[in-house]
Amino acid sequence: MFRTALLRSARSATCQAVRKSSPIVRPASTGLFTKSQIAPSAFQAVRCYSAGGGLDEATVTGRIADLLKNFDKITPTSHFANDLGLDSLDTVEVVMAIEEEFSIEIPDKEADAIHSGIEQICEIWSHARELTF
Amino acid sequence: MRYSGLQKEVLALYRKCLRESRKKPIDTRSHFESYARAEFQKSLALDKKDFAAIEYLMRKGQRQLEMYSSPGIKDIR
Repeated sequence: MFRTALLRSARSATCQAVRKSSPIVRPASTGLFTKSQIAPSAFQAVRCYSAGGGLDEATVTGRIADLLKNFDKITPTSHFANDLGLDSLDTVEVVMAIEEEFSIEIPDKEADAIHSGIEQICEIWSHARELTF
Repeated sequence: MRYSGLQKEVLALYRKCLRESRKKPIDTRSHFESYARAEFQKSLALDKKDFAAIEYLMRKGQRQLEMYSSPGIKDIR
Protein backbone atom coordinates (compact mmCIF):
# COMPACT_ATOMS: atom_id res chain seq x y z
CA MET A 1 0.00 0.00 0.00
CA PHE A 2 2.61 2.45 1.18
CA ARG A 3 4.95 1.42 -1.59
CA THR A 4 2.36 2.00 -4.31
CA ALA A 5 1.52 5.39 -2.87
CA LEU A 6 5.21 6.28 -2.89
CA LEU A 7 5.59 5.10 -6.48
CA ARG A 8 2.55 7.04 -7.55
CA SER A 9 3.73 10.25 -5.99
CA ALA A 10 7.17 9.81 -7.51
CA ARG A 11 5.64 9.16 -10.90
CA SER A 12 3.38 12.20 -10.74
CA ALA A 13 6.34 14.28 -9.70
CA THR A 14 8.33 13.16 -12.75
CA CYS A 15 5.29 13.76 -14.92
CA GLN A 16 4.98 17.29 -13.69
CA ALA A 17 8.70 17.81 -14.13
CA VAL A 18 8.46 16.61 -17.71
CA ARG A 19 5.41 18.73 -18.34
CA LYS A 20 7.13 21.78 -16.96
CA SER A 21 10.30 21.21 -18.93
CA SER A 22 8.72 20.08 -22.18
CA PRO A 23 7.58 23.45 -23.53
CA ILE A 24 11.09 24.76 -23.16
CA VAL A 25 13.10 21.81 -24.38
CA ARG A 26 10.90 20.24 -27.04
CA PRO A 27 8.76 21.62 -29.79
CA ALA A 28 5.03 21.62 -28.95
CA SER A 29 4.00 19.16 -31.66
CA THR A 30 6.00 16.26 -30.22
CA GLY A 31 5.02 17.00 -26.64
CA LEU A 32 2.25 14.38 -26.41
CA PHE A 33 4.32 11.56 -27.83
CA THR A 34 7.36 12.08 -25.68
CA LYS A 35 5.26 12.46 -22.59
CA SER A 36 3.50 9.16 -23.22
CA GLN A 37 6.84 7.41 -23.68
CA ILE A 38 8.19 8.67 -20.42
CA ALA A 39 5.09 8.10 -18.32
CA PRO A 40 3.08 5.36 -20.01
CA SER A 41 1.12 4.60 -16.83
CA ALA A 42 -0.92 7.75 -17.24
CA PHE A 43 -2.17 6.50 -20.61
CA GLN A 44 -2.75 2.85 -19.84
CA ALA A 45 -6.28 3.47 -18.63
CA VAL A 46 -7.34 4.57 -22.07
CA ARG A 47 -8.04 1.63 -24.33
CA CYS A 48 -9.89 1.30 -27.57
CA TYR A 49 -12.37 -1.55 -27.43
CA SER A 50 -13.74 -1.32 -30.94
CA ALA A 51 -13.01 -4.28 -33.18
CA GLY A 52 -10.56 -3.79 -35.97
CA GLY A 53 -12.67 -4.74 -38.95
CA GLY A 54 -16.17 -5.98 -39.73
CA LEU A 55 -17.24 -9.58 -40.17
CA ASP A 56 -15.70 -11.19 -43.18
CA GLU A 57 -17.74 -13.41 -45.44
CA ALA A 58 -16.10 -16.66 -44.33
CA THR A 59 -16.98 -15.99 -40.69
CA VAL A 60 -20.57 -15.23 -41.58
CA THR A 61 -20.87 -18.36 -43.70
CA GLY A 62 -19.30 -20.51 -41.01
CA ARG A 63 -21.54 -19.21 -38.28
CA ILE A 64 -24.67 -19.67 -40.36
CA ALA A 65 -23.63 -23.20 -41.27
CA ASP A 66 -23.12 -24.00 -37.58
CA LEU A 67 -26.49 -22.55 -36.76
CA LEU A 68 -28.31 -24.43 -39.52
CA LYS A 69 -26.84 -27.71 -38.24
CA ASN A 70 -29.12 -27.37 -35.23
CA PHE A 71 -32.10 -27.61 -37.48
CA ASP A 72 -32.68 -30.89 -39.25
CA LYS A 73 -31.17 -31.54 -42.67
CA ILE A 74 -30.44 -27.98 -43.70
CA THR A 75 -27.46 -27.10 -45.85
CA PRO A 76 -26.59 -23.53 -46.80
CA THR A 77 -27.64 -23.94 -50.42
CA SER A 78 -30.95 -25.68 -49.91
CA HIS A 79 -34.17 -23.86 -50.56
CA PHE A 80 -36.26 -23.80 -47.42
CA ALA A 81 -39.65 -24.53 -48.90
CA ASN A 82 -38.82 -26.51 -52.06
CA ASP A 83 -35.97 -28.75 -50.94
CA LEU A 84 -36.66 -29.08 -47.26
CA GLY A 85 -40.41 -28.90 -47.06
CA LEU A 86 -40.29 -26.21 -44.42
CA ASP A 87 -43.52 -24.31 -44.07
CA SER A 88 -43.63 -20.56 -43.71
CA LEU A 89 -43.53 -20.75 -39.92
CA ASP A 90 -40.33 -22.82 -40.02
CA THR A 91 -38.77 -20.27 -42.32
CA VAL A 92 -39.61 -17.51 -39.87
CA GLU A 93 -38.03 -19.55 -37.09
CA VAL A 94 -34.81 -20.06 -39.01
CA VAL A 95 -34.59 -16.37 -39.86
CA MET A 96 -35.21 -15.46 -36.25
CA ALA A 97 -32.51 -17.84 -35.04
CA ILE A 98 -30.06 -16.19 -37.38
CA GLU A 99 -31.13 -12.75 -36.24
CA GLU A 100 -30.38 -13.79 -32.71
CA GLU A 101 -27.00 -15.27 -33.59
CA PHE A 102 -25.83 -12.03 -35.14
CA SER A 103 -27.74 -9.68 -32.83
CA ILE A 104 -29.39 -7.89 -35.71
CA GLU A 105 -32.96 -7.27 -36.66
CA ILE A 106 -33.95 -8.08 -40.21
CA PRO A 107 -36.91 -5.97 -41.28
CA ASP A 108 -40.09 -7.93 -42.04
CA LYS A 109 -40.05 -7.02 -45.70
CA GLU A 110 -36.61 -8.49 -46.24
CA ALA A 111 -37.23 -11.43 -43.95
CA ASP A 112 -40.24 -12.46 -46.06
CA ALA A 113 -37.99 -12.53 -49.10
CA ILE A 114 -35.52 -14.99 -47.60
CA HIS A 115 -36.03 -18.51 -48.87
CA SER A 116 -32.64 -20.18 -48.80
CA GLY A 117 -29.46 -20.27 -46.82
CA ILE A 118 -27.49 -18.49 -49.51
CA GLU A 119 -29.92 -15.59 -49.65
CA GLN A 120 -29.64 -15.40 -45.93
CA ILE A 121 -25.88 -15.22 -46.01
CA CYS A 122 -26.07 -12.39 -48.52
CA GLU A 123 -28.56 -10.67 -46.29
CA ILE A 124 -26.39 -10.96 -43.18
CA TRP A 125 -23.36 -9.95 -45.14
CA SER A 126 -24.99 -6.75 -46.35
CA HIS A 127 -26.22 -5.99 -42.85
CA ALA A 128 -22.82 -6.66 -41.35
CA ARG A 129 -21.29 -4.23 -43.77
CA GLU A 130 -23.89 -1.60 -42.95
CA LEU A 131 -23.26 -2.06 -39.28
CA THR A 132 -19.51 -1.90 -39.25
CA PHE A 133 -18.60 0.66 -41.87
CA MET B 1 -43.01 -17.88 -53.38
CA ARG B 2 -44.67 -14.55 -52.77
CA TYR B 3 -46.93 -13.99 -49.82
CA SER B 4 -50.20 -12.11 -49.86
CA GLY B 5 -50.74 -9.15 -47.54
CA LEU B 6 -52.66 -11.18 -45.02
CA GLN B 7 -50.07 -13.96 -45.04
CA LYS B 8 -47.38 -11.41 -44.37
CA GLU B 9 -49.37 -10.09 -41.45
CA VAL B 10 -49.67 -13.59 -40.02
CA LEU B 11 -45.94 -14.15 -40.35
CA ALA B 12 -45.28 -10.76 -38.77
CA LEU B 13 -47.47 -11.75 -35.83
CA TYR B 14 -45.56 -15.03 -35.48
CA ARG B 15 -42.28 -13.14 -35.58
CA LYS B 16 -43.57 -10.77 -32.92
CA CYS B 17 -44.52 -13.73 -30.75
CA LEU B 18 -41.02 -15.17 -31.06
CA ARG B 19 -39.49 -11.77 -30.28
CA GLU B 20 -41.61 -11.47 -27.17
CA SER B 21 -40.67 -14.95 -26.02
CA ARG B 22 -37.00 -13.90 -26.20
CA LYS B 23 -37.73 -11.53 -23.33
CA LYS B 24 -38.91 -14.36 -21.11
CA PRO B 25 -36.63 -16.22 -18.66
CA ILE B 26 -34.17 -18.40 -20.52
CA ASP B 27 -35.41 -21.74 -19.16
CA THR B 28 -39.06 -21.17 -20.01
CA ARG B 29 -38.47 -19.52 -23.38
CA SER B 30 -38.91 -22.77 -25.27
CA HIS B 31 -42.33 -23.23 -23.66
CA PHE B 32 -43.48 -19.88 -25.03
CA GLU B 33 -42.03 -20.64 -28.44
CA SER B 34 -43.64 -24.04 -28.70
CA TYR B 35 -46.93 -22.64 -27.45
CA ALA B 36 -46.92 -19.98 -30.16
CA ARG B 37 -45.98 -22.60 -32.70
CA ALA B 38 -48.83 -24.88 -31.60
CA GLU B 39 -51.35 -22.04 -31.71
CA PHE B 40 -50.38 -21.17 -35.27
CA GLN B 41 -50.26 -24.79 -36.30
CA LYS B 42 -53.85 -25.31 -35.17
CA SER B 43 -55.11 -23.08 -37.95
CA LEU B 44 -52.54 -24.06 -40.56
CA ALA B 45 -55.12 -26.01 -42.52
CA LEU B 46 -57.36 -22.97 -42.90
CA ASP B 47 -58.17 -21.95 -46.45
CA LYS B 48 -56.16 -18.87 -47.32
CA LYS B 49 -59.23 -17.23 -48.87
CA ASP B 50 -61.16 -17.49 -45.62
CA PHE B 51 -60.46 -13.89 -44.70
CA ALA B 52 -63.03 -13.50 -41.96
CA ALA B 53 -61.72 -16.48 -40.02
CA ILE B 54 -58.09 -15.48 -40.48
CA GLU B 55 -58.73 -11.94 -39.37
CA TYR B 56 -60.61 -13.14 -36.33
CA LEU B 57 -57.77 -15.47 -35.39
CA MET B 58 -55.24 -12.66 -35.95
CA ARG B 59 -57.10 -10.38 -33.55
CA LYS B 60 -57.36 -13.19 -31.05
CA GLY B 61 -53.66 -13.89 -31.40
CA GLN B 62 -52.76 -10.25 -30.93
CA ARG B 63 -54.78 -10.07 -27.74
CA GLN B 64 -53.14 -13.24 -26.47
CA LEU B 65 -49.71 -11.87 -27.34
CA GLU B 66 -50.39 -8.70 -25.39
CA MET B 67 -51.57 -10.73 -22.45
CA TYR B 68 -48.63 -13.13 -22.40
CA SER B 69 -46.03 -10.44 -23.03
CA SER B 70 -46.66 -8.84 -19.66
CA PRO B 71 -43.50 -9.30 -17.58
CA GLY B 72 -45.43 -10.91 -14.72
CA ILE B 73 -45.99 -14.04 -16.77
CA LYS B 74 -42.89 -16.19 -16.50
CA ASP B 75 -43.97 -19.61 -17.66
CA ILE B 76 -46.56 -21.19 -19.88
CA ARG B 77 -47.69 -24.75 -20.41
